[in-house]
Amino acid sequence: MNRGSLRIYLGASPGVGKTYRMLNEGVRRAERGTDVVVGVVETHGRARTAEQIGDLEVMPMKAVAYRGTVLKEMDVAAIIARRPEVVLVDEYAHTNAPGSANEKRWQDVEQLLEAGIEVISTLNIQHLESLNDVISRITGTQQRETVPDAIVRRADQLELVDMSPEAIRRRMAHGNIYPAERVDAALANYFRPGNLSALRELALLWLADRVEESLTSYLDAHGISAAWETRERVVVGLTGFVGGEALIRRAARMAGRVSGELIGVHVAVDDGLAQDDAQALAAQRKLVQELGGTVHDVVGHDTAEALAAFAIREKATQLVLGASRRSRWHEIVHGSFVTRVTRLAAQIDVHIIAQTDDTSAPGRAGPLRAPSYDPRRVVAGVVLTVVGLPGFIAATLPLRETVDLSTLLLLALVIVLAIAVLGGRIVGAVAAVFASLLVNWFEVRPYYTLTIAEGENLLSLVVFVVVAATVGTLVDVVSRRSLEARRSRLEAEALTRSATSLAVEPEPVARLVEQLASTFDLGGVLLSTGAAGQQASIAAVGEIDKVPTATLALPTSELASELTGEETRTLQVFGRTLSSDDLRLLRVLADQLALALDNQRLKAEAGAAAALADVDAVRIALLRAVSHDLRTPVASIKAMISGLRDPTVPWTPGQLAEAHVTIEEETDRLNRLIGNLLDASRLQIGALAIHFGSAGVADVAAAALHSLNVAADAVTLAIPADLPPAWCDPALLERSLANVVSNALRYTPLDVPVRLEASVVGTSIHIRVIDRGAGIAAEKRAKVIAPFQRLGDQTTTDGVGLGLAITQGFVEAMHGTIRLDDTPGGGLTVTITLPTAPAPEQALEELAGEAADADAAPAAPAAREEVS
Amino acid sequence: MTSVLIVDDERQLRRALSLNFAARGFEVFESATGEAAIAEVANEHPDLILLDLGLPGMDGVSVIEAMRGWTSTPIIVLTVRDDEQSKVQALDAGADDYLTKPFGMAELVARVRAILRRASSGSTELPEVVTADFRLDLVGNRAFVGGEQVETRLTPTEWAIVRHLVRNPQRLITYRQLITAVWGPSYDPDQNLLRVHMGHIRRKLEPDHARPAYFITDSGVGYRFQPGS
Repeated sequence: MNRGSLRIYLGASPGVGKTYRMLNEGVRRAERGTDVVVGVVETHGRARTAEQIGDLEVMPMKAVAYRGTVLKEMDVAAIIARRPEVVLVDEYAHTNAPGSANEKRWQDVEQLLEAGIEVISTLNIQHLESLNDVISRITGTQQRETVPDAIVRRADQLELVDMSPEAIRRRMAHGNIYPAERVDAALANYFRPGNLSALRELALLWLADRVEESLTSYLDAHGISAAWETRERVVVGLTGFVGGEALIRRAARMAGRVSGELIGVHVAVDDGLAQDDAQALAAQRKLVQELGGTVHDVVGHDTAEALAAFAIREKATQLVLGASRRSRWHEIVHGSFVTRVTRLAAQIDVHIIAQTDDTSAPGRAGPLRAPSYDPRRVVAGVVLTVVGLPGFIAATLPLRETVDLSTLLLLALVIVLAIAVLGGRIVGAVAAVFASLLVNWFEVRPYYTLTIAEGENLLSLVVFVVVAATVGTLVDVVSRRSLEARRSRLEAEALTRSATSLAVEPEPVARLVEQLASTFDLGGVLLSTGAAGQQASIAAVGEIDKVPTATLALPTSELASELTGEETRTLQVFGRTLSSDDLRLLRVLADQLALALDNQRLKAEAGAAAALADVDAVRIALLRAVSHDLRTPVASIKAMISGLRDPTVPWTPGQLAEAHVTIEEETDRLNRLIGNLLDASRLQIGALAIHFGSAGVADVAAAALHSLNVAADAVTLAIPADLPPAWCDPALLERSLANVVSNALRYTPLDVPVRLEASVVGTSIHIRVIDRGAGIAAEKRAKVIAPFQRLGDQTTTDGVGLGLAITQGFVEAMHGTIRLDDTPGGGLTVTITLPTAPAPEQALEELAGEAADADAAPAAPAAREEVS
Repeated sequence: MTSVLIVDDERQLRRALSLNFAARGFEVFESATGEAAIAEVANEHPDLILLDLGLPGMDGVSVIEAMRGWTSTPIIVLTVRDDEQSKVQALDAGADDYLTKPFGMAELVARVRAILRRASSGSTELPEVVTADFRLDLVGNRAFVGGEQVETRLTPTEWAIVRHLVRNPQRLITYRQLITAVWGPSYDPDQNLLRVHMGHIRRKLEPDHARPAYFITDSGVGYRFQPGS
């Protein structure tokens, strides 16, 4: 009998619609005439899911008695006996009731498959064994029902039922997933957007792995070795040369854009010669790893061959190489490396990335090595004069009878011009005269005298000297001009760079100093302020401990000196001695540096002024709020008492009693407000005494409600009995809860109770106070929690809008956090998160530690300082 | 029975005021918001409104502006705000007086009575005003100080200012209201000009012009004529 096929709908979290999809497929196949039955389905009370069952035949469940209760399980035997073509089995990871034939439902499914029945099932990602611990770390919920990955991977088809976290939360808030009373807790715990995103990503990755697995097995089974483009794999060659980092970053970006994989490969040529820069290579390996890639080493005779083979083996889709650094000559002789790789790895896209020298990389300054006249060239010119001209004479001596003098002179002219180009016009002129004398002495009749017999020869010699000197001078001038032009261009570049830094960089000073050093190729640059001898460094690069080669005072603008007083700023350069041209440019750049410094200082002043203005605004808001909130109860009290003191008014006993109540209540309110103001001041100056201990949230919440004196039905408590205690100062927690609850009561409609619930997530306790009031817009939430800020200055709260701010102060002092969220369906949910109390032994240890501290410190107060 | 509408978002203050007014024999209505107050005025036609400026939602000044379109029921503004600007806004919008919280009931009741008296007396076309220190003949435009004997001359502008103030005894007249009454709505003189005229008036009528007893300054807001000092 053929084994049945297994199809599993995989969901990232509960509520994505797996069961719905499974039933949907069952219905469709039943409509097409397939014999489909429902083996087991869990609708979780979701109406739309239950609806989906429709006309499908539902197999009756088997009752299993367990400790006096009756549990229902799938009846495998009945299904096999019924022999449907397809059976729908919900919750693949379900654990059967003790006493069933199989411990797990997936084992039941195995039986069904063995019987040749096709099974469609559902599974949540958190039930996968390999993901179990990572998911419990993310969600804080331990999952006990797990399925071995291998079993799931054996399924013939896996389909991910995907839904965006926002959509799930929306479904949740609409009550499509859980009944309304569980929605708040679910949204705040398991269904946090972060959780859902993480689960979704895990599900996608797990499935992607599985897809790859089946792809590999397919390729192997069919003997396919050609690259199969599933996920982009970008292979980058590590050169081990300086500058290879840019190549790697570029490759990483290419991989990142298509969510591909980055693979670095280094080919070591096994000719026994270490040619690579080990340090650069190590840096490049590290970079690849930092960018999320992997590094492989390959050894081969031929780099191109090894690289191409590796890329093919790794099923690379893209290969990134640097443009060749080899000389054109090398390319002609050995063939182009790039061409060979491209040919060898014909199916892979090969990208050639332009190589940039670090020194000329964009934004970095190239050294402005003064291209002034090189003394070495003068020496070469002199040498050529001394050696070349006699050599020329020696070579032409045998020809002096046969060759015309003018021809000889033209040949000599070539040499003299070469000398002029090398040595400049002076050396050129000297060479011209020297050449004419040599020619005269050796090659003009009468030989070996300076006398010239023929007038024509004399003319030739004179013309030779004139032409040689003139052309030599011209050549020299041209080469000087071109040097000057080059220098100007470099200067202009340096100025542009510096100006750009000034305009673009947020902190241009350090950048400008760096650029100075690289522009002039200096050993070090120091920018300092103050008089000589007591200078304070502002910015420095390179080695600055030697004697400076130049010192410049930066100009001080009027505005800057107004701000800073008479202050001198000095720029010192070290290392190379600068030419006068360099110094001129340095001065211009120094001016820009001064400008940058002034700007920096002005910006700092402006920032300080803005901060002061903010402080002022807060103070004004505080004053207004305090005056409103303090005076309002005083106004009631004063109106009441001044009215009572009027002897002419006939007060009835009832009115009198009410008047007294008003006075008392307003006095209490004033007292609370003053207490809050004192708390806020204590928090602000850090004078709050905190006494940590283990506290039962239920006890503290009850005390808080008692202190608020609220009606019993105004607040619903939902605190699990087995909630571990929190580690906090119980008194502070009570005041925090009282603040939050009274705030919630103020805003929630009268007929809807405020809900106070608590739960444990991992090692923290979440306490939520949920109201159904108007809520607070997300952008205003930070303001609510900032002290003395209220929504407008007209609301009638008692507490200068301090309630939540003080609560935040308290909670943070107890190492907890407070967060404001929307209540689904409207309202505000305040979540206070506190650590759970350590286990008893641990607590004892800490107590011991504290006792030791207390011994060292002067007598610790026995009771907590009364704060209110 | 005289009725008063108390508009304040503070429940306790509302209760304190309504107890006091009830004990003094007023009929009392209460509203917590501006919108409710407007409805209450339309339905119950109270004789006087005590209005808090800092209301949630529709703010006090807007309430005055909304009411002044169709009712002239006197309004006393109650405010904890110290800034003069909001008082001036309220008075310019048509409030009749203001009190800053906290206030004594005696003072509030005195203001209420003064305003109600003014409202019931209807026309304020008085022929003359007599005080312990001066007598003003508003028909003949003549002023006498020191026991009827000495006549003092007031310029036409001074007469216009004095006439407007004495016709609204005890009522706070803002600078803008006074300027509008004297120079007309389109004229926009410096407040200093008003101050100079006021100085002249005090020199001529007050027994001690440095410490005025009749023409009182409400700093930053306006002037008030206090007849029986």
